[in-house]
Amino acid sequence: MIDAVFAPVVAFFKPLGLNYAFLLDAMDRQAFWRGMGVTLELCLLVIPCSLAAGVLIAAALTSGRTWLALPTRAFVEVTRNTPTLVQLYCAFLVLNMLITQQLHQYGANPLTPLMWVVIVVSLHKGVFHAEALRAGIEAVPRVTLEAARSLGFSRRQLLWRVELPLAVRFALPSLINNLVDLVKMTAVASAIAVGDVTYESIMIWTQRDNVLELLLLILLYFGLLTWFVSVVGRWLETRLRMPGYGQ
Amino acid sequence: MANDLTLPHGAGGVDISLWRKPWAASAILAVCVITFWVTTGTTPAAVAYLWQWLPALLQGLWVNIQISVLAMALGTFVGLAIGALSLSPVAAWRVSTRWYVNLFRNAPVLVLIYFTTYAFPFEVRVLSWTFAFPDWLKVVLGLALPTSANVAEIFRGAIQSIPSAQWEAAQSLAFKRREIFRLIVLPQCVRRMLPPWMNLYASITMSTALASLVGVHDLVDTAQIASNTVSRTDFTILVYFTLLALFFAYCYPIARATRALERRHDRH
Repeated sequence: MIDAVFAPVVAFFKPLGLNYAFLLDAMDRQAFWRGMGVTLELCLLVIPCSLAAGVLIAAALTSGRTWLALPTRAFVEVTRNTPTLVQLYCAFLVLNMLITQQLHQYGANPLTPLMWVVIVVSLHKGVFHAEALRAGIEAVPRVTLEAARSLGFSRRQLLWRVELPLAVRFALPSLINNLVDLVKMTAVASAIAVGDVTYESIMIWTQRDNVLELLLLILLYFGLLTWFVSVVGRWLETRLRMPGYGQ
Repeated sequence: MANDLTLPHGAGGVDISLWRKPWAASAILAVCVITFWVTTGTTPAAVAYLWQWLPALLQGLWVNIQISVLAMALGTFVGLAIGALSLSPVAAWRVSTRWYVNLFRNAPVLVLIYFTTYAFPFEVRVLSWTFAFPDWLKVVLGLALPTSANVAEIFRGAIQSIPSAQWEAAQSLAFKRREIFRLIVLPQCVRRMLPPWMNLYASITMSTALASLVGVHDLVDTAQIASNTVSRTDFTILVYFTLLALFFAYCYPIARATRALERRHDRH
């Protein structure tokens, strides 16, 4: 039945020199579909995790406590200035190996490659979110805070009711930008054999030699995901827009 | 006494100055530890192996640097042309460059590297008759694509950030369009483009690590070979963190210089 849907598609692209015959093979089709699902799953897991990591890192950086701010600063600099792939290897091939060795007598290591990708990419992007949030907090006008203080807001109220709502609005464009980048970054998961869309495509094209066709599909899929993130971002921006602040 | 307030930590002068220079402190510490190991002959086996593999690792880093420099040069060259076209008065140029920039900025770099690695030989087979088309060159092309799209965007942004009043003022002083561009707008643009361009270079350098996934013998690949050959847990830990340190040592100074430049521009 599904073949009936894909057969005309395959027949349409054939004269254009694009061989999408893998769509007619149930196994390959399922593998590609599964890969798309895993990429989506990765995005849906990493986006909230990275935002949480960003808030924590920003809080640690601006806490004013040297014992907390200094190591975080070092972590931020190392994360910003080293390749994600190398970070992933350090986490997966080194830390994961050590954890497996430690847990040897208790049973299997509960951390899967997918979880390591989520951890590493979340922390990596969290660093960039933290930078955006910090800039957002700094962009809140002094006068607004003074006005709120003179109206009798407590320190906590000031943070939650005035400073953070404004800071998030200022930081939103760069946060969205980071999230678009994050979606693209999930492709690195294929390096440690997480079955995302890139990995499954490699598996298919080593058998069928249809690299160009699959790459067009992957690019289309990532284009769709990044487009969706930016549409949601733009919607949030207009939704949260406050007259008089920004633009 | 005022001195109580200005000198809270008392006489810990040496201690503080070392803390202020963490690089110097750690370098001195490293030299001390190594001298101790060498003189007493108690060098840990993993460190000895690392010393043995260090030339290979540095050679790998050199491959990464070559790829990044070539990709950046090619990407800048193409990107400037595309950026100029995106400002053209002809709508067709503007639309097609817009598509190019959006496509290659929104595609994962890894996917583009796979693209050039696996898709190019079939189309360039006519050329590979006469000369080889090595994998590292394909990676250069794969990295040059996103670079050119980003450079085009940086260039367009810089040109558009020059107030249009300057064009009008120059026109009223009887400068030609070409002269305004070359003598007035471009010199200001170069200054504005430098920090984001350096940022881009750092990020392209980090992306060269992906070359190892398509079989280029770069730093990451060398580290993997070393780790598999020696096959010791402590050496594996050491070699992967050395990998991290080597990339950091190359990219961090670039990031520092970029930030310094940005600060200087903010002041002007």
